[in-house]
Amino acid sequence: MIDREFGRSLWYRLLVNRFMIVLASIAIVVAIWNVYVSFHDHGVVEGRVVDTDGRPVEGATVELWVLDFTTYVERTRAITGADGRFVIRGNASHNIQIGAEKPGVGRAARIPVRLYFKAEDVSLAAPLVLSGG
Amino acid sequence: MHRYPRWPIHLALLAASFLMLIPFYWVLKTSVSGENIFAYPPSVVPKEPHLFYYVDVWYYIPFARYFLNSVAVSAIAVAANVVLNAMAGYALTRDFAGKGLVLMLFLSCMMVPFQATIIPAYLITGRLGLLDSYLGLALPQCSTIVCIFVFKASFEAVPQSLIDAARIDGLSEWGIIWRMMIPLAKAAVATNVILSFIWSWNNFLWPLIVTRSADMQTLPLGLARFLSYQEDTTGALYAFCIMVLAPGILLFLLAQKEFIQGLTSGAVKA
Repeated sequence: MIDREFGRSLWYRLLVNRFMIVLASIAIVVAIWNVYVSFHDHGVVEGRVVDTDGRPVEGATVELWVLDFTTYVERTRAITGADGRFVIRGNASHNIQIGAEKPGVGRAARIPVRLYFKAEDVSLAAPLVLSGG
Repeated sequence: MHRYPRWPIHLALLAASFLMLIPFYWVLKTSVSGENIFAYPPSVVPKEPHLFYYVDVWYYIPFARYFLNSVAVSAIAVAANVVLNAMAGYALTRDFAGKGLVLMLFLSCMMVPFQATIIPAYLITGRLGLLDSYLGLALPQCSTIVCIFVFKASFEAVPQSLIDAARIDGLSEWGIIWRMMIPLAKAAVATNVILSFIWSWNNFLWPLIVTRSADMQTLPLGLARFLSYQEDTTGALYAFCIMVLAPGILLFLLAQKEFIQGLTSGAVKA
């Protein structure tokens, strides 16, 4: 069906206008975001634990605390390897805190880690530093 | 050619626009920084902005569900407003016995506040079995008198000879409304869409009364719920406000040209 006044088909005018273009753009952004989320929502939290001299700490206990409505509760723990690295799996939250401790070496205060979606895979940029042991 | 320079007017308009945009900017700034709104001196630029308050809002309450409910209710209200108001507006451009009485009735009904009609509206909705449903949520907003008059004013601008020609060509009254009047009244349609959308989107009282399950609540109710059980929510609260306001602002920006045309044509021709 051709609209003679405007020289374009009715379907073209219905589909190619600012309303449809904005809606389609939003839909595309949402779709891309959801694809990204589906590839990065394994609930993996990675990081390192070091002492005050910056040396990796083996055998430190790393705790994952999760916001439960209004307070943080401990969900799971992991032990660091020889290189001081730890991997926590199964985090299902978007608002977590990470703390670490090793008797004799010290304790790292819990640091808040904010995620953009639940179970987002994250690698902590700064290591947890044990002190006060 | 203008007799006077226009820049003073533009300057004044810019200053007025700036003043009006300050609250919006402040809400946006607080939503990404969470700064205390009573902090002194206030910071104009957000410190360490982030989007985590939006994430909090998304997960603290079932935002997606509330958003879907608001969209569904607003879509019903908008569609019903365009169809019913166009029919009513066209009828009011025709001559019939008691037309003056109907117009007076409409105008007098505009003076009755919605709060005064809540109980009968609730009873009618209940008798229809529409409590806690999308249709029930949208029902009292399916037609608004202001929007009927917007259509009426717009239709009255169409020359009678054009309508007569359409009738001679064999168009029925339905055909005249939908195939001739509506395409000529795009500004009125846009005004109806925007006004009915915003009224429906922001409505708080009726959804509060007519919904029974949490799953049927709309965004304004979600905001009240959010406020009731979250403390220290400055950033998240403002993020919530932005998320609720954004669709309405977007719709207004997209259709503002037609919206202003519709309002101004209604102002001079009603």
